Amino acid sequence: MHSVFGRGNAMAAYTLSVLAGLTFCCFLSTVFLDYRTPAVINTRQVVVKSIPDYSASREKNDLGYVTFDLKTDLTHLFNWNVKQLFLYVTAEYQTQSNQFNQVVLWDKIILRGENAVIDLKNIHAKYYFWDDGNGLRGHKNVTLTLSWNIIPNAGLLPNVGAIGSHSFAFPPEYTTSKV
Amino acid sequence: MDYFSNIPTHMDYDGQGRSEKLSRIIITLFGVVGLVWGFIIQQFSATVYVLGAGFLLAGILTIPPWPMYRRKPLNWQKPRPAPREEGSETQKPKKKK
Repeated sequence: MHSVFGRGNAMAAYTLSVLAGLTFCCFLSTVFLDYRTPAVINTRQVVVKSIPDYSASREKNDLGYVTFDLKTDLTHLFNWNVKQLFLYVTAEYQTQSNQFNQVVLWDKIILRGENAVIDLKNIHAKYYFWDDGNGLRGHKNVTLTLSWNIIPNAGLLPNVGAIGSHSFAFPPEYTTSKV
Repeated sequence: MDYFSNIPTHMDYDGQGRSEKLSRIIITLFGVVGLVWGFIIQQFSATVYVLGAGFLLAGILTIPPWPMYRRKPLNWQKPRPAPREEGSETQKPKKKK
């Protein structure tokens, strides 16, 4: 440490090591937190159509059309190791051709500091609810769940499911009118 | 020019040791305080800023060779007078002059 540059270099290296240690402490302070919280989902309008899926096979597939309400309060999930939440609503169901189907219908990014109280009425799905066949018409048990992906400063990127979900049934007839 | 070239720019050995020790103490202290403060206000960027302040303070206090790091100069031994024994090889050229 006989020169200005030698001392400056050693100090910068030590500072970065300390910063890495502090970041690890920040990670440790939040890694065991429970990020689950209740959410209420309700469907409003549920119809199913049979139309050609040009994005895949051009064959007529079932297209679900769902509007729903979503109510939850995620304010308490934010802490010093949460930069943003990525919310997404998935529909899960079982068909004869697939043991487990999972379709993302809607998503939203909430940055820390933004309003995290969610009370949405009659929202439309952002993405198409395609089935890869004809499994939706008359389906008795499709479950909507809200989940979120936590984007931290440092550490894990957990996917957390909300407590509570909503199951609904599709009508037994295709809708031909425009919705 | 003599004035500038006579400004001392070195640290003695003891000063180098103390400057490094001091810089580590300052940075560690600011890091710990910043961590606690950032946890209290739940803002990790505050922790990083406090650590940065500690870095700047330690840089000001311990990077330049301040006079406080020059208090224990090495006790050099006095130069020994050259031995003047007749048999020594090094003396011979001088005698020839």
